[in-house]
Amino acid sequence: MKLTENDKKSLLEPIIKNNPVFVQILGICSALAVTTSMTTAFTMTLAVLFVTAFSNVGVSLIRKYIPNSIRMIVEMTIIATLVILVDQLIKAFSYDLSKQLSVYVGLIITNCIVMGRAEAFAIKNGPALSLLDGIGNGLGYGFVLMVVAFFRELFGFGTIFGFTVFKTVQNGGWYAPNGLMVTAPAAFFLIGFMIWIANSISDAKVK
Amino acid sequence: MNNDSILKTFGVAAALCVVCAVIVSVADVSLKGMQQRNKALDRQINILRAAGLVEPKAKVDAKQAAKLFENAKAVVVDLETGKIVEEKPAAEADGIKLDPKDVVEIKKEHDVAKIKYVPKKEIVYLFNDENGALQTVALPIKGTGLWSTMYGFIALNGDLKTVAHIVFYDHGETPGLGGEISNPNWTAKWEGKQALGDGGGPIIRVVKGIAGISSDGPNCEVDGISGATLTCNGVNATVSFWLGERGFGPFLTNLKNGTAYDVKASEN
Amino acid sequence: MSLKTQIADWMSGCLTKLEQKGEISPEQSESGKEGGATKRFFFRSCATLVDAAYTFFFSSSEKTSGSVHVRDCNDFKRMMIAVIYALIPCTIFGIYNIGYQANLLAGGPGGWHGAILNWINGVAPALGVFNSSNFFGCFVYGLVYYLPIYITTMIVGIGIEVVFAAINRHEVNEGFFVTGFIFPLICPPTIPLWQVALAIAFGTVVGKEIFGGTGRNIFNPALLSRAFLFFAYAGQISGDSVWTAVDGVSKATPLALASQGVDGLVCGNYTWWNAFLGLIPGSIGETSTLCCLIGGVYLMAVGVASWRIGVSMFVGGMGLAWLLQFCSPEFAEAHRAVTLGPCWHFVLGGFALGMFFMATDPVTAAQTTKGQYVYGFLIGALVIVVRVFNPAYPEGVMLVILFGNCLAPLIDHVFVEANIRRRMKRLQAK
Repeated sequence: MKLTENDKKSLLEPIIKNNPVFVQILGICSALAVTTSMTTAFTMTLAVLFVTAFSNVGVSLIRKYIPNSIRMIVEMTIIATLVILVDQLIKAFSYDLSKQLSVYVGLIITNCIVMGRAEAFAIKNGPALSLLDGIGNGLGYGFVLMVVAFFRELFGFGTIFGFTVFKTVQNGGWYAPNGLMVTAPAAFFLIGFMIWIANSISDAKVK
Repeated sequence: MNNDSILKTFGVAAALCVVCAVIVSVADVSLKGMQQRNKALDRQINILRAAGLVEPKAKVDAKQAAKLFENAKAVVVDLETGKIVEEKPAAEADGIKLDPKDVVEIKKEHDVAKIKYVPKKEIVYLFNDENGALQTVALPIKGTGLWSTMYGFIALNGDLKTVAHIVFYDHGETPGLGGEISNPNWTAKWEGKQALGDGGGPIIRVVKGIAGISSDGPNCEVDGISGATLTCNGVNATVSFWLGERGFGPFLTNLKNGTAYDVKASEN
Repeated sequence: MSLKTQIADWMSGCLTKLEQKGEISPEQSESGKEGGATKRFFFRSCATLVDAAYTFFFSSSEKTSGSVHVRDCNDFKRMMIAVIYALIPCTIFGIYNIGYQANLLAGGPGGWHGAILNWINGVAPALGVFNSSNFFGCFVYGLVYYLPIYITTMIVGIGIEVVFAAINRHEVNEGFFVTGFIFPLICPPTIPLWQVALAIAFGTVVGKEIFGGTGRNIFNPALLSRAFLFFAYAGQISGDSVWTAVDGVSKATPLALASQGVDGLVCGNYTWWNAFLGLIPGSIGETSTLCCLIGGVYLMAVGVASWRIGVSMFVGGMGLAWLLQFCSPEFAEAHRAVTLGPCWHFVLGGFALGMFFMATDPVTAAQTTKGQYVYGFLIGALVIVVRVFNPAYPEGVMLVILFGNCLAPLIDHVFVEANIRRRMKRLQAK
């Protein structure tokens, strides 16, 4: 299978250029909640990727049969089904992670990215293109999550994916962990800085 | 047919509901067994961690957990009398149901741990060695720290005087400060410290700075966490409440004197 | 031509040249060659620095134009310099107090500070740096701790200012001198220098630059830096034990003792007079209520700080502290700090410093006359509430003022709207 120009655009554009988090400012809530460690951020990325990709496909497949009056509810039902599926799978196969992610997997339902893509893209485009768009947006969301989690985990705990990089003072090392990074405001600051950088770059291009 | 006709609307809605319901039900039914096993294992590992039988970050599978549970018992203790009223193998501890409303209000002046109510009965885990002698007893504790209620276990060695282990598995203290109460490096400092004095009362306490020698005993002080005095005060209050007269004090005395078993229970 | 004008001319000449080099010349942009961005940036940074020095020593190159302004000699630079004058008593006393507190305790200073002090003592024993009754000796002791903090603050802060000024093409102004002067005063003397650098970088960027620089910030940058330290390195900065410039000393701070009531303070050998004069341990500049009072009254007299905010904050805080003394005995048992009363509350912690120098910051405080009363009162009362009810944050002044900064635009909005409504009514009545 070969990707056309349009396919590539759907897949790649949401990663940086039209990123759902720092360009469209969607899905901030979970980006604050699950980014204290990279492992949880990664799991969350996979979960959201799965849900955006398949909810897009699902909505796209039946887009021609959806009555307009119940359009949103139909989309919601498909998303909710997928989220429950993901939640059940994580609970069955990775119980520890499900404890750490707690309610946030269930709250993917309320993540504006998923609903936004279903409503803005999948309802108008074919399943293949919608799949690519879903994956692209999932990756864009994941990219932000991983960057934020990288800084928060590294500077807040001195670890990356749970492996010690900086040995902290509490554990007999030299690194004094930055407590601010562990708290939710740090994620706000980091996302803010990302938005700042993204805006400066796009401003420079416009000029 | 028009997409927006009433018939079609109902038809699509019904079809979608059926499909989604089937997917969700299949997932739920087929994964339920695994999820329950995970949950039970998680509980067991928590108890084993509390007793200090499992390293804090070690991975334990169901087989190992079951093996470690072979010599363990879960007993229901009446806090007031300090007697054991029910006993089961620890692996079946999930089968014990205690009424959460069966509580006693604590008078304000006695309520050092600031928990307002204590249950009349608590589940305690007893771990025996191969010869059947008591090795470890894990007691559930809870109390108010700086911001939150801290839930944990304190495990005493067979001599019923020294600490085998302490763990806080759930709390909402400041990460990096009070939150350090769940750091294994700090909880390890409790191991081997003397928890109960010769008179039977709790003497162990977290001090500010480095542990020294207190007048109560040579080995009953634990290093404080810097910047977390108020959380440490909460930990002190919690431990001394639960090891004291209104907590597990009577039970520990009975256990030591061999009078923990109720006459009725031992007949059974 | 006098020397002064010669220097001024030379500097403005340099400035013009540097500015030219910092911009793209017309030929370059026409031929499409826009190379040397780094070079241009470097020249722009230099131009900013020269401009800053020029305005600092001579006069600002930009003057207010237009007809709606009242112009007098009280320009931005004068206001900032007035704040710095007002801070001098606090700073000098603070530096002395570092040495005094350290010399009161047994045990010498540690680390590289200790090495410097021992060397000074070896070279000039007559100075008496280890003698608590020698004012000058204690002052030198304090300088060894204070100067590195001050220098770090200035280098990092001005560096960031210059970079941002060069990017945004505006000039560096004196705003940072005040921030850089206040920030060391609210640091503990023993703070590691890398934390100072990190905190002031955070405070300058997040507190000021992202809002567009001096005069547009909604938060006081010095306080934001301090708040950053408080949350990032809480273990060392939460005020759990005293900061004195002596190794391995750990005892409760006056405020921590205050949460045990007056008895606690008496046990800690603190007297009201010592607390008022500032002979107690604490952050460098916050201990002396007397020095804050001198500087603060001066600031209010010259009209830089709003006396409305100062007075209403005093009334709010002391009034609540006074009222709380009449609470029930059970309540007092649970929250012992209520027994302190207004006199003690005024002299402990950072209340006075916050009241005179930070709540009254003309940029971040409320601007409307009535709004200033509300703003000050709210901060004063909240400080006492935090001190009494939240033992985890004995020093709530910092957070409360930042909270007040948040609310200031809202308070102003309410009063401005009310004023508009009132005048509209009057118009309709006619």
